[in-house]
Order: sequence, then C-alpha cells, then structure tokens
Amino acid sequence: MSMFLKIYKKQFSCYQMRPSVNRPPTPDARLDREKEPSVLEIINIKLIESGEKERLMELLRERLIECGWKDEMKALCRAFVKKKGRNNVTVDDLVHVIMPKGRASIPDSVKAELLQRIRTFLVSAAV
Amino acid sequence: MSAPNEDTMSSQLSSHFFGDLLDSIIVDVASECHRIARLGLDRNLEEEEEELRLSAQARVRVADPSNSGEANSKYVVDIFGQSHPAIASEIFECMNCGRSIMAGRFAPHLEKCMGKGRKARLKATRSSTAAQNRYSRGSPVSSYSPYSNSTSTSRLSNGTPGVGGEEYSNGTLEEP
Repeated sequence: MSMFLKIYKKQFSCYQMRPSVNRPPTPDARLDREKEPSVLEIINIKLIESGEKERLMELLRERLIECGWKDEMKALCRAFVKKKGRNNVTVDDLVHVIMPKGRASIPDSVKAELLQRIRTFLVSAAV
Repeated sequence: MSAPNEDTMSSQLSSHFFGDLLDSIIVDVASECHRIARLGLDRNLEEEEEELRLSAQARVRVADPSNSGEANSKYVVDIFGQSHPAIASEIFECMNCGRSIMAGRFAPHLEKCMGKGRKARLKATRSSTAAQNRYSRGSPVSSYSPYSNSTSTSRLSNGTPGVGGEEYSNGTLEEP
C-alpha cells in the first residue's frame, strides 16, 4: 500500500466501526473488533473532536513556513520533478522524497513548542 | 512529583502525536508540489533552461565585432522589433516662426530661429539698433518700444557686438 494511503488511513482509523454492518465477520476479526479502543485512539478522538488537533496543525504549519522548512521541502520536490519529468511524478514519489529529510530537519525549538502543547492537552484530557 | 513512568508515557504519547501531525503536513506539502508539477504552474522549471540558452545566444551576438558600430544603426532592431532611420523624419510646425521643420533638423533650426547662433543674433540686434536710432533722433522714446523684446533676448548672450543698442531701451535720450 502506498505511504500516502497508509498515512491517510491512520488519521481516520480511530473511527473504525464496531461491529461492521457491511462485511460478514470472520471469526478472528470479530474477536479483534470487540477489543476496547486503545488509549491512542481515545486520545486521538479527543484531539480531533475538541478542535485541538486542527489548532496544533495550523501552529506547526505556520512555524515550519517561518523557519523555511517548507521551502526546503518544495525545493527537494522541484529537483525531483525536474529529474523525473513533471508528468511522471506521483504524490507517493514526493512523499518518499520528503519524508526522511523532513522528519530529520525539524528545528528543535519548533519540536519543543509543539510537544509542550501536546503534553498540556494530554494533562487536561486525562483529568 | 509524578512517577517517572507517567512522564515517559506522556512523552511517548506526545512524540507519537507530533509524528502524526508531521506526517499529515508532509503529505500536504507533497500533494501541493505534485499539483504544481502536474499543472505546470512552476514556471521556472523549463524557463530557466530557455533563458540560459537565450542569454548565451545574446552574449555571442554582442561579442561578435562585426555587429557593433554606428554604421549599422539603420538596420539594428530594438527590443520591440522596430528599426529606426538615423535622422528622425517626422515633420511638424516650429512654435517660434511657424515653419514646417523636420524633427531631425529641429535643433539647428531653433538655434537660428531663436537667436542663439551668430547670424541670428546679428540679425536681431541690427534691426533693434536701427529702430532705436530712428526713434531717439526724433523725440523722447518710451521704454516700451516694439523692439525691446529682441534686445532683452540679446541681453542674455555674452560678448556680443550689439551691446550698445541695449542702453537705449531704458528710454533715456542719448546722442550716439
């Protein structure tokens, strides 16, 4: 499965339906589906439904633009497109181009700020 | 003081969600770049190569010695693709004397017409001194003689032979 689809699905996996009305349950799947939603999923739902996830995304986006990270990523993409030819490029290609460098080149201050905000939310949500 | 387990748990969770956010943003950036690439909105992509080629061509043309010089100015083309003759040929009316003058010959014409050149100056002052002499012999002359305009213009130029005529424009009686 492409990386793009993987990430896309992960974002919404917390809303996985239990039990499914569309698909006849196989025995193993039924067992799995009756498990409690994990802590991760619960927190994810809380993040999304409170609107905090959206706010955090906007904050991160803004910080990454300010520090030039987005421009660096766009330059990487442009170089790749130039090499491969603009009609032969897929989104998945570009995700693979950016992902390693992108995760590694986040400035420490930006990361610290976001982690702090998330931790604050976790504390308030856990209560 | 919170137990160390809670902290690591909390920091692990935070990192996990931070990674989530980052992944989403990376996908967004990739999607945006993909769109720009496929729609051809990134004009610099192929334009740079085109510009490089054109600038190389232009440099060759400039370096070529046979192209330079005024001799070819009639056939040299400007940036709008027009070529101009060496002397401007549009014809219009001179605002001083009312004659039809060619644009390329206008400056020399104005010199003569307005009294900057040698011949034109002499012409103006000669007629004014003649008029002054005529009036001053007869009766007291007012300072507003019709030729006072031309003497005032000749006052502007330096070292001219007609200086003597200027003194008459004050209206004083003086025998030459």
